[in-house]
Amino acid sequence: MTALDSVAAYQPTSRRTVEELAGPLGLSEMEVKLFRRFHGLREICIDPDTSLTELLLNAAAGLDLRGRQHRVRYVLWARAFPTVVPFPGNPLHEVCQALGLGHALAFTLTQQSCASALQAIDLAGRLLAADTHADPDDEPLALVFTGEKAFTRDAQVLPGMSLFSEGASACLVSATGSRDRLLAYACSQRGEFDPAGGGTPERFQSEYRPLLAQVISRALAQAGIALADLALILPHNVNLVTWQRMCRLIGFPQERVLLDNIAGNGHVFCADAFLNYQTARERGLLADGDRYLVATVGAGHGATFAAMVFQH
Amino acid sequence: MASPETGVAQTGVDETGTDAPFRQQVVQTACDLLILLLERDEPVTEDMRLMDELMVSSLLGLELLLRLEEQLDIQIDVELMDQDQITTVGDLATFVASHSRSF
Repeated sequence: MTALDSVAAYQPTSRRTVEELAGPLGLSEMEVKLFRRFHGLREICIDPDTSLTELLLNAAAGLDLRGRQHRVRYVLWARAFPTVVPFPGNPLHEVCQALGLGHALAFTLTQQSCASALQAIDLAGRLLAADTHADPDDEPLALVFTGEKAFTRDAQVLPGMSLFSEGASACLVSATGSRDRLLAYACSQRGEFDPAGGGTPERFQSEYRPLLAQVISRALAQAGIALADLALILPHNVNLVTWQRMCRLIGFPQERVLLDNIAGNGHVFCADAFLNYQTARERGLLADGDRYLVATVGAGHGATFAAMVFQH
Repeated sequence: MASPETGVAQTGVDETGTDAPFRQQVVQTACDLLILLLERDEPVTEDMRLMDELMVSSLLGLELLLRLEEQLDIQIDVELMDQDQITTVGDLATFVASHSRSF
């Protein structure tokens, strides 16, 4: 069963407040007030002096890879943006070289935008499950990265919804681990929200929460548990009001959704789940055996709604 | 007597606990704001449906709430809002009148 063997996350210490971003991003006074008052966004992390490669390496520094590099067969990078550096640059290959993982098959997933991280975990687990290995002590591993720079205005603001923040995560995945076992994964890709096909922001906004509720329900059914069995939900950090309303829609107590990182971190592209996981561990919010759910939405050319259930 | 929720004088509290005069003030303010936000020439009335008829998006709805807070000098408990139960301008006013407090 796919499992997270260890998780590490990193965010730059350099921060900017919503008010400081208003000028550069062309936010109106009303947008700033909305972000503050209802979306619960106070500041984001952004560091122009940290490269993408450095972001990923800083995240990987939180993992103990020593003596395990040879077991890492796959390195996946889940991203929201398909293109992040000029050709022929490749931060993932640079990271693999720096970490002694030049032998691993390395590739990037971007098709599900901010939901690509969950897709990468699922794919890593399935690739590992299909692999063979003779020595039980040499069980193969996959290293799943997320990490993104907010290079452009489009990468910094989701109009009326969220502000993006820089950060990265690194996660070691195994096919049979016991630490955080993946019980279920549900995913719904909705091409009808693609503006090129006639999708509108209004329709996306109105269907956003019901569709996310549907995948949460499907994931719980696959896991064979009820919503009330969840100790915790680790959300994507899109904004506060969306999750306040989600909680009312699905009937889940807001106190059991880790929303504290929204105000100071913003939406960290694909990395929210792992940053929130790290916070949950630091605060002792997950006990042995606890079931928790990770939920996220990726938006771009269409939208992806995704949820995973894990047992800690 | 001041309501612990609305913080405004209650002279016409109905059976649901909603302050009727304050609710009417919210209706009028919301109608005026919607004309402004939607750039409408026609009047907006209490029975109009926010999403289907006036095409108020989630985002515009939040801006409306923010402007109501500013104009009426109140704080609305947005986290308690169940959008499925708010169809018309009047529904919104009822919610605001019963789930807000003055600054």
